[in-house]
Amino acid sequence: MLAAILAAGLAVGSIYALIGVTYNIMFSASRVMSFTSGQLGMLGGVFGALCIGRLHIPIIPGFVLAMTGCALVGLVTEIVAVRPVLKALDQHLYVLSTLGFALMIQTFTAIEFSTEPQPFPHLLGIGQGGPLDEKFWLPVVACFATIIGLELLYRRTLVGRAFLAIAEDNFAARALGLPERNLRMASFALAGAVGGLAGFSGGELLLAFFANGATLNFLGFVPVALGGLGNNRGAVIGGLALGVFQQAANFLMGGVFAGVAVFAVFIVVLLAAPQGLFGSPPARRV
Amino acid sequence: MSLTRRALVGTSAAALAAPALIRSARAEAEPIRIGWLATFTGPLSSPTIGFDRGVKYAAEQINAAGGVNGRMLEIISRDTQGDPTKAVNAAQDVISRQKVHAIFGPVNSGELLATTPIMARAKVPSLVAGVVNSLIDPAKFPNAFRVTPSNAQWDGAVLNYCQNILKAKKVTIMADATGYGTSAHDDSVASFKKAGLDVVYDAVIDPAQPDVTPDMLRSKNAGAEVIVSWTVSSGMAARMMNARAALNWDVPIAGHPALGTGEIGKLVNKPEYWDKVYQVGYRSCSYGADGKLPKASQEFVDSVRGKFPLQDTSLWWIASGVDAIRLIAEAVAKTGSSDSDKIIGYWNTLQMWPGLYGHYSFSPTDHNGFLGTDVVMSKANTAREGAFDLAPGYA
Repeated sequence: MLAAILAAGLAVGSIYALIGVTYNIMFSASRVMSFTSGQLGMLGGVFGALCIGRLHIPIIPGFVLAMTGCALVGLVTEIVAVRPVLKALDQHLYVLSTLGFALMIQTFTAIEFSTEPQPFPHLLGIGQGGPLDEKFWLPVVACFATIIGLELLYRRTLVGRAFLAIAEDNFAARALGLPERNLRMASFALAGAVGGLAGFSGGELLLAFFANGATLNFLGFVPVALGGLGNNRGAVIGGLALGVFQQAANFLMGGVFAGVAVFAVFIVVLLAAPQGLFGSPPARRV
Repeated sequence: MSLTRRALVGTSAAALAAPALIRSARAEAEPIRIGWLATFTGPLSSPTIGFDRGVKYAAEQINAAGGVNGRMLEIISRDTQGDPTKAVNAAQDVISRQKVHAIFGPVNSGELLATTPIMARAKVPSLVAGVVNSLIDPAKFPNAFRVTPSNAQWDGAVLNYCQNILKAKKVTIMADATGYGTSAHDDSVASFKKAGLDVVYDAVIDPAQPDVTPDMLRSKNAGAEVIVSWTVSSGMAARMMNARAALNWDVPIAGHPALGTGEIGKLVNKPEYWDKVYQVGYRSCSYGADGKLPKASQEFVDSVRGKFPLQDTSLWWIASGVDAIRLIAEAVAKTGSSDSDKIIGYWNTLQMWPGLYGHYSFSPTDHNGFLGTDVVMSKANTAREGAFDLAPGYA
C-alpha cells in the first residue's frame, strides 16, 4: 500500500517538478512567468504518442522528434508571446499573452489530435502495473537526469554561465557583449524540451490528452512557489513533496477533498514563507 | 348597381373569414418544422453523430412516404457546441425566428438545464434526451417529455444488477468531478444506502487525476464487491481498470454507458483489463444469448446497414433519434394539427408506445416516459454495430 502511494506520488511529483523547472528556465531568461509551461508538458505526451504510437517511429528517433517539436514551441513562445511584452513587464501583459498562446496550443491540439485521451506507447515494456512499472519510475529518472544535466550545463559550460549571467542581470550581460536575445531564445527552446520531457516521461501515466496542459500549468506552478522562484532544486523538492502529499491525501481523504488539502497546505506554506521554502527574501535597496 | 343588405352581410362575412381560411390552408400546406439542437462540433459531439443519423433517417423515411397528412418534415439543425450559452441562443432562434412546431434536443443535461425553461415559456413541445432528474417537471415544464431514461432509472438498473444479480453487499461509488458526476454520485450513494447496501467508499474524483490507485486501494481494503462508476471520462474509466489489474483484483465495475466507449479499449494496458465491466444498456440494443438483437432492432439494423455506419457510434443514439422524429410526426398525424397544445395533449395520452429504442408512456403528471425495465446492463467490451451483449445474469 505504502509502496503504491509512494510510487505514484514520486512519479506525478517528478512531472510537476519538471514543469516547475520549465517555469524557472523561462523566468530566469526573461523575468516572465510563461503560462505555456503546462502546455509544453501536454505536448510532450501528444508528440510522443503521435511519433511512436501513431507513426510507429522507433523510440529514440521518436523521442528526439518529440523533444525537438517541444523546443520549437518553446522558441515560438518567446517570439510570439514574450518578446513583444518585455518592454512592459511592470504591466504584467505577459499573463495575457502567454495564457492566450497557451489556449491556442490547447485548442489546436484538440482539433488536430483528439478531444479524447489517447494511449501513450509502452516505451520499455517493464513492469505490469505494480509499483516498479516503468510508468512510475520513468518520470523520476527523467527529473533527476534533467537536474543533473542543468547543473552541469550551468556550472561547467560557457553557454550555461552565459544563461546565468542574463538571469542575474541582463543589462550588465548585454553591456559585456553577450547576445542576450539569442540566449533568451535558447533558454526558451531548452525550457520547451524540459517541459516536453515531463509529458513524454509521464505519458503512460497522464495519457496523451489535450486537457492535461491546464492541470500541469496549475500543479506545476505549486513547486515553483514552494521551492522559490528560479530555484530548480527547490522546485524538485517541492514537486516531489507535492506529488507524495497529493497521493497520500487521495488515499486518506479521497476525491476532490484531496485537491482541497493540497492547496490548503500550499497556502499555509506561502503564509509562513512567502518567498518559498528554499527561496531567499528579495534584496532591498536602502 | 344597388347593394342589398344580404349581399353586404355575405361579402363582409367572406372578407372577415378569408384571412383565417388562408391561414388555415397555409398551415395545412406548410412543412412541419422541427428544431434539432445538438452538439455537432466540439469535444462532446460523439452522441450527436448517432442521434443525427437517426433524426435524418426518420425524417427522410417519412417524407419519402408522402409526409404527415401531406406535410413534409423540415429538420432545422443548430449546433450548440456543447455550450449552454450557445444552446440558449439556438433555442431562441428556432422558437422566435424559425417558428418551429416542436424541438428535439439539446442532447446533454448541462445545456438542457439552460434551455428547458425557455422552451417552457414559449410552450413549444420538446423531447428531452438528458438524464438529470430535475429536467422533467410537468408542473413547471408541461411541454417537456423525456425520451431517454432518467438518471434514477440508470441508477436503478445498476443497483438492481449489483444487488440482485451480482449479490453484492458492499460497494464503492466513484464519479468524476463534473456537474453530472457530482449529482450522479449523490443520487447513487443515497439510493444504494436506501436499498440496504453498504457503501464502503465513495469519491468524486478529478477526471484528470493521473492515478486512481489510492482510491482503488481504499476500496479493496474496505472489502468492496463492486465498483460503481459514474464518469463520462474514458481516461478516468481506463485508469480505474488499469489500477484494478495492478492490484490483482477482479472486482466487477458497473455503471455509466461511457464504460463501453471504444476509446477505453485503446487506453487499457491489456484488452483483458476491460473484462468484468458492465455498462448501462438497453434491451432494444443488446444481443441476447442467441447473439441477436430484438426483432424490431434487428430489422432496423439490417435495413440501414450500408446506408450509414453503425460501428462508430451507439445504436441507442440512432434509435432515440428515430423515435423522437416519429413521436412528433405521429402526434401531428393523429391530431391533424401541429399546434403546441394538440401535440402536447397527444403525448400525454401515450401508453407503452412501441419505439425502436424503448417503450414510452406519458401522462399529464408524469413525463418520464421511458420504460424502466427496458434499461439493463451490458458487457462493456462487446460492442458490435453499436450494440452490446447482455451482461451475465439476465434471462
